[in-house]
Amino acid sequence: MGQKRKKRVAVVQCAGGCRAEAEVPRKERTGDCRAMAESSPEGMCKWGCLGQGSCAAACRMGAIRINSAGAAEADREKCVGCGLCVKACPRNLIRLTAPEFHIYSACVNEDPGAQTRKYCSTGCIACGICVKNCPVNAVRIEDSHAVIDEEKCIACGMCAVKCPRGVIIDYDGIFTVREGQVER
Amino acid sequence: MKEKYCFTVNGVMRGTDEEKPLLRYLRDDLHLHSVKDGCSEGACGTCTIIVDGRAVKSCVLTTKLAVGRNIITTEGLSEEEKEAFVYAFGSKGSVQCGFCIPGMVMAGKALIDRVPDPTEEEIKTALKGNICRCTGYKKIIEGIQLAAAILRGDEKIEEMLEKGDAYGVGKHAFRLDVREKVLGYGEYPDDVEMDGMVYASAVRSQYPRARVLDIHYEKALALPGVLDVLTAEDVPNNKVGHLQQDWDVMIAKGSITRCVGDAICLIVAESREILEKAKKLVKIDYEELKPVTSVQEAMAEDAPKVHSKGNLCQSRHVTRGDAKTALANSKYVVTQKYTTPFTEHAFLEPECAVAFPYKDGVKVLSSDQGVYDTRKEISIMFGWDPERVVVENKLVGGGFGGKEDVSAQHIAALAAMKVNRPVKVVFSRQESINFHPKRHAMEGTFTLGCDENGIFTGLDCEIYFDTGAYASLCGPVLERACTHSVGPYCYQNTDIRGYGYYTNNPPAGAFRGFGVCQSEFALESNINLLAEKVGISPWEIRYRNAIEPGKVLPNGQIADCSTALKETLLAVKDAYESNPGRAGIACAMKNAGVGVGLPDKGRAKLIVHDGKVELYSAASDIGQGCATVFVQMAAETTGLGKEQIRNMGANSEVAPDSGTTSGSRQTLITGEAVRMAAADLNEELKKAGGDLRQLEGREFFAEFFDPTDKLGADVPFPKSHVAYGFATHVVILDDDGRVKEVYAAHDSGRVVNPISIQGQIEGGVLMGLGYAFTEDFPLKDAVPQAKYGTLGLMRAPQIPDIHAIYVEKEELLPFAYGAKGIGEIATIPTAPAAQGAYYAMDHVLRTKLPMEDTYYSKKQKAVR
Repeated sequence: MGQKRKKRVAVVQCAGGCRAEAEVPRKERTGDCRAMAESSPEGMCKWGCLGQGSCAAACRMGAIRINSAGAAEADREKCVGCGLCVKACPRNLIRLTAPEFHIYSACVNEDPGAQTRKYCSTGCIACGICVKNCPVNAVRIEDSHAVIDEEKCIACGMCAVKCPRGVIIDYDGIFTVREGQVER
Repeated sequence: MKEKYCFTVNGVMRGTDEEKPLLRYLRDDLHLHSVKDGCSEGACGTCTIIVDGRAVKSCVLTTKLAVGRNIITTEGLSEEEKEAFVYAFGSKGSVQCGFCIPGMVMAGKALIDRVPDPTEEEIKTALKGNICRCTGYKKIIEGIQLAAAILRGDEKIEEMLEKGDAYGVGKHAFRLDVREKVLGYGEYPDDVEMDGMVYASAVRSQYPRARVLDIHYEKALALPGVLDVLTAEDVPNNKVGHLQQDWDVMIAKGSITRCVGDAICLIVAESREILEKAKKLVKIDYEELKPVTSVQEAMAEDAPKVHSKGNLCQSRHVTRGDAKTALANSKYVVTQKYTTPFTEHAFLEPECAVAFPYKDGVKVLSSDQGVYDTRKEISIMFGWDPERVVVENKLVGGGFGGKEDVSAQHIAALAAMKVNRPVKVVFSRQESINFHPKRHAMEGTFTLGCDENGIFTGLDCEIYFDTGAYASLCGPVLERACTHSVGPYCYQNTDIRGYGYYTNNPPAGAFRGFGVCQSEFALESNINLLAEKVGISPWEIRYRNAIEPGKVLPNGQIADCSTALKETLLAVKDAYESNPGRAGIACAMKNAGVGVGLPDKGRAKLIVHDGKVELYSAASDIGQGCATVFVQMAAETTGLGKEQIRNMGANSEVAPDSGTTSGSRQTLITGEAVRMAAADLNEELKKAGGDLRQLEGREFFAEFFDPTDKLGADVPFPKSHVAYGFATHVVILDDDGRVKEVYAAHDSGRVVNPISIQGQIEGGVLMGLGYAFTEDFPLKDAVPQAKYGTLGLMRAPQIPDIHAIYVEKEELLPFAYGAKGIGEIATIPTAPAAQGAYYAMDHVLRTKLPMEDTYYSKKQKAVR
């Protein structure tokens, strides 16, 4: 049996819940992500997606768009796993993974949970509920956010279902609702 | 619809106001029993369904999250899909115990719907979340490939195969239970629903060792819907046990618990939900005591006594010749200490039983390895004549030795008699892990000697088994460990001491391999070290010492004419020698039949009824396929087809006792009884000109017993067992240390069902690889730390290429068409072969299982 090359797909590790949107409306933001990062407005999460679409601009497949939450989102059907978006993101928020890992944690912030709770509606507060509920011990808290180990993960979705903040996302949109589903 | 949560299930709009796991809604409200509850933790995959085209675990999804979705279970497959999967899984031998199968079918369908022609890799990835403990996945992957091909129109269903007109020994026989297991309508005990049925569950000890000062269950009893709360006082005789009755049904107030699996009180309630609430309302006062956590602690002079008679549960001394002198005079001698862990059976179906008052006693619908054993234990508990207890097996979702002791059956019976209603007891997965006996953890020191040509001279060894809180089958398991520590070789000086100690760890008992996995791991490793000293290859030293027909085994038994160890060695020689530095080899032998002087009888009764032959024999088919094997034996003898012979299952009321499914014995011992009864029937059938209808109402009963000698019998060549199976495995690593291939050559006598035997071998090998590399059962102060998902069970993407080879000789035993058992031996040589492969690769001797510093252990660590 011939072996196909394993497909890789991009994952954006931010769900865009930053409350800075209210203070600095996206319309008023200028420049690409790198410029935005340098001028980082007051109250804006210093870990999450800047929403200026440098990744989308880099993507040659039209696989990345900025969703209504203001965060980048990759379309796995279109994505070919080339990694250009990974390089384009000044915050290193995008990683490549295998399509079978449709459950992923969409937050990499390293601030204490109490602070995150204040400025972001979808930020990981390191409560550890995912860690407790993972049947295969694949989730751990590292630098104040959940990290899923794909060597162990069986993509059962338990962490996504139990996450009280919507940080852990099911790309397939079964265990958590995905905006993209509506549009597809 | 007015309900809060609405969704489509198998094409029908459904709704509920209750928010709960979708698994519970599908099973309890819609009675879709194909959706199996294997863990309710998201780890096992038995509850896999399809939601909007995706394979999803229904225990993870909730009714609330399912709103608006389109849900399919195996009940909702199209006719075409049903037939494709039934045929494909039957033809390829994908089904054993069957508990994982509906989930596998759904994972397979979800993949095929997206990718009509999936590659092997794609199937493995799609099955990553689904555990199978029986097959080693290979046959399930093949089944899904064939199902896909049929659905694409590339392959056709051959209807004659399932019909089975040619069903005799050696035929490509379609298992009897494929259809019901693939489509999920076959009943395991948890699928039984009865009018007025209530639920019972035990509140178990919080501590491995603690004095129970008081049990406050008043609040639980007052909860509406709670029928009763039982304690030790309600048990007529509070001791059960498979062989030694040392196991308290419940720990009485004032007594001391022995492990965390101990029951303290038993609650009976109208529903599962009320039961769970009630259990939380029970408050138990304990005086926590320091547990005995290891054999060393148990042996200490001032050790607390786990049982009043002391901590030594069992001991054996097996000796022949003069090992001391032989070793002293040996050219080369190797002494080495080895350690092996507890292992969890991890059968996919957690323990479950339904009991109800019946005639002048009780009837129990069970999932076990011997209905007469269960009957005996329950009757001891009640202080009744055994006949008052009727035990019938439903489908058994895997056993591997872990369902020989009573678990849920006796407490279900107790509760049923108390509340006078049908009672279901089903274990949670964690309860199962904490309660049932494991494979014994071993520490052993092995000394093996040989002469300058590598011919073995003698063996001295000392084996320590941790048998945990209860004896279970400690005696026989320890004995097999001792008697088989010699290996399938030819030398006459042995001195083997074995000790089984009680501790406060979970109990240990029977597990596929029955003590031999431990001792042969140690022996085979020592053999490699001797080969190195002599300067010959590990293959060569085994071949030089291999037992052959007419020669004398180290226990004194003369190897019979069917012995084909050398043939298995030759079968893997090329594979071994063409992978220098990457291959390991190990041999094994395993008894078929209980032997050692015990009355190990096979019984079968054939009744001609409604123009068909009904086969009655209480021999549990725990997934290995003996029910099919018996029908094949009867078909071979009589020339009848599958449709004319019905296996009536294991029911103590109507089927004669044919012993426990243990000791790889059913194919040979019960198989021969079936053959004998079928031969009598065939005589009469011939007289009737082949017209079965003329025999209507006739009964043919046969009992098979081939006597053996007890251990240490004072005869020149004691016959310990009716037969031995032999095997040689070769494990081949890739450059990263990952297992690439396993060649498993087996002598099991005549092969009754070629597809089934491959499945037994492949499943056994994968279990052996788990034992070698990934499976562990960590304890912290005698409390199990593992969940089902962290036991280290191998998943589909991890499997190597397993080549199941069977050698069939001309000379065979005169029983059961020459078939010997395969059940256990497939698990035994894999771990030592894997260890040998690593030794060949990096020359580090790994004396502990699971092995450290391997490709697999690094992967595990990287993620911690």
